[in-house]
Amino acid sequence: MTWFTVAKKDFRDAVQSRALWALVAVFVVFSLVSTYAYVQVPEMFGSPGGATFGGLLFFTLGITGLFVPLAAIVVCYKSLAGERELGSIKLLLSLPTTRGQAFAGKVVGRAAVLVFGLGVGLVVGLGFGSALLGELEVVALVLFVLATLFFAAVYASIVVGISATTGSTSRATTLALGFFLVFELLWDVVPMGILYVVEGFSFPSTIPDWVFLVSQLSPSSAYLSAIVALLPDLAASVGADPAQTGAGVEVTAADAEPFYTSPEVGIVVLFLWFVVPFAVGYYRFNGADL
Amino acid sequence: MAAIELEGLTKRFGDVVAVDGLDLTVEEGEIFGFLGPNGAGKSTTIDILLDFIRPTGGTATVLGHDAQSEGLAVRNRTGVLPDAYHVYDRLTGRQHVEFAIEMKGVDDDPEALLERVRVADAADRKAGGYSKGMRQRLVLAMALVGDPDLLVLDEPSTGLDPNGAREMREIIREENERGTTVFFSSHIMEQVEAVCDRVAIIDRGQLVAVDTIDGLRDSTETGETLYVYVSDLDEGVLDRVRTLEGVGTAAIDEGRLRVTVDGVSKFAVLHAIDEVAPVQDFSVVESSLEDLFVRYTNESQEVEA
Repeated sequence: MTWFTVAKKDFRDAVQSRALWALVAVFVVFSLVSTYAYVQVPEMFGSPGGATFGGLLFFTLGITGLFVPLAAIVVCYKSLAGERELGSIKLLLSLPTTRGQAFAGKVVGRAAVLVFGLGVGLVVGLGFGSALLGELEVVALVLFVLATLFFAAVYASIVVGISATTGSTSRATTLALGFFLVFELLWDVVPMGILYVVEGFSFPSTIPDWVFLVSQLSPSSAYLSAIVALLPDLAASVGADPAQTGAGVEVTAADAEPFYTSPEVGIVVLFLWFVVPFAVGYYRFNGADL
Repeated sequence: MAAIELEGLTKRFGDVVAVDGLDLTVEEGEIFGFLGPNGAGKSTTIDILLDFIRPTGGTATVLGHDAQSEGLAVRNRTGVLPDAYHVYDRLTGRQHVEFAIEMKGVDDDPEALLERVRVADAADRKAGGYSKGMRQRLVLAMALVGDPDLLVLDEPSTGLDPNGAREMREIIREENERGTTVFFSSHIMEQVEAVCDRVAIIDRGQLVAVDTIDGLRDSTETGETLYVYVSDLDEGVLDRVRTLEGVGTAAIDEGRLRVTVDGVSKFAVLHAIDEVAPVQDFSVVESSLEDLFVRYTNESQEVEA
């Protein structure tokens, strides 16, 4: 159970980082300001029918979907690469532990840091919002916060996993930013690009269903789909549709919908984003000469 | 059972051979010095013992456990002061020791350990602000947690002042008296000389000597040097001294005879010289192990060159 000790130490170490507190402060301020803006002028933020609590949740989701990956990069990119570069990993692995335990401890410790910072921001922002709106849907709020915190843990696994593959922090930074660029910023166009190539460098008249699946593969789309799956009524009321991705092309599923076009697939994808980087990071870290 | 057993241990980094077929046995209860110039392969060997890096060939067995497949069992009973480590800047000295205590699952008193290595005054300061010597002491305290059966110390006196180095040696001796095997590396002979039962000298990844300190001395011709003042020193006297039994080399050095003794007692040589030319005064200089070390490591380089 040394992973727990490692996680605790890592959390203790990281919560003393000024960068983390700056990040929490930015998130709290940003969520207060944006919540206020949403409640005042909901028309501008996708809720033409007026501000609702559900609308606020889906509006917040847009912010966390971007904030979590960036925060995860800041908090986690040095987690293992930095310890290897400096040599503190030798202090850690001289103790009776294994690389697997140390790696797991890092993921848990950094996830805890993210969850803590994000949790504070969410409680403050959504608390403020529900006070302004005068309405609160407890079940939806709890499900939303839990899913968002899991999303943060997923990103901790991704970035710690990336950090575990290298002993150089500059390479870890490059890889983490590259991941963000491809899977978060460019992912809207990637499925269409794949379709374009697969169809012999032209676009077909109808978009096949698998394009929808590919568009679901980025962690933050999976997060959106997972929330839609968890809060279907709320999602319907605010018109949130995970299929609204794909560079402006309307992906409408055919009558006989394949299983993978349902939003539940987002939950599965999100789990995979936790498990796969964890496995890859562990494998690379375990085999490395430090 | 041997505390450390290396068999044909080899590590290549690309086409550089850092450790080349090392065979070495360290017995339980020994203080063993692992000596070599910088870049000889000392740290690489130690890193393999601790499973920081994986050997290309051969095996390393520590306290009866394979260092690679049973690393956890090894580290459960081993205290380590690594080389080129870095402390957790934002954690205090006490938090470091508490972390080691928790990881090892023991209930040592952090205060007592910090007291022992003399950083108790700074226990609640962040380790990032420690001097190199203080960090070295702190990490030694972490190594001592849980009364390990084996202490592996990589260049332990790095960053320590002479007093600190002496205290380090005292702690090494105290631990050894409790029955702990101590394996430590150094590139400074006199530190090894002061505490070690046996030493191994490594150069360019290969073992060039393993012996006790006395054994190393005896095995080289430069055992002892006599400086002898005689009346009427000239070339004639020198030539006759050179032919005496037990005289290795002889030369005139600042008005004295400098004679190396080979195979017989100093007294016999002095007596023989006295018959050639009356001895007025003499002094004895034991060859320093430093010379010996330089000799070993240079010789092997010449062979390779």
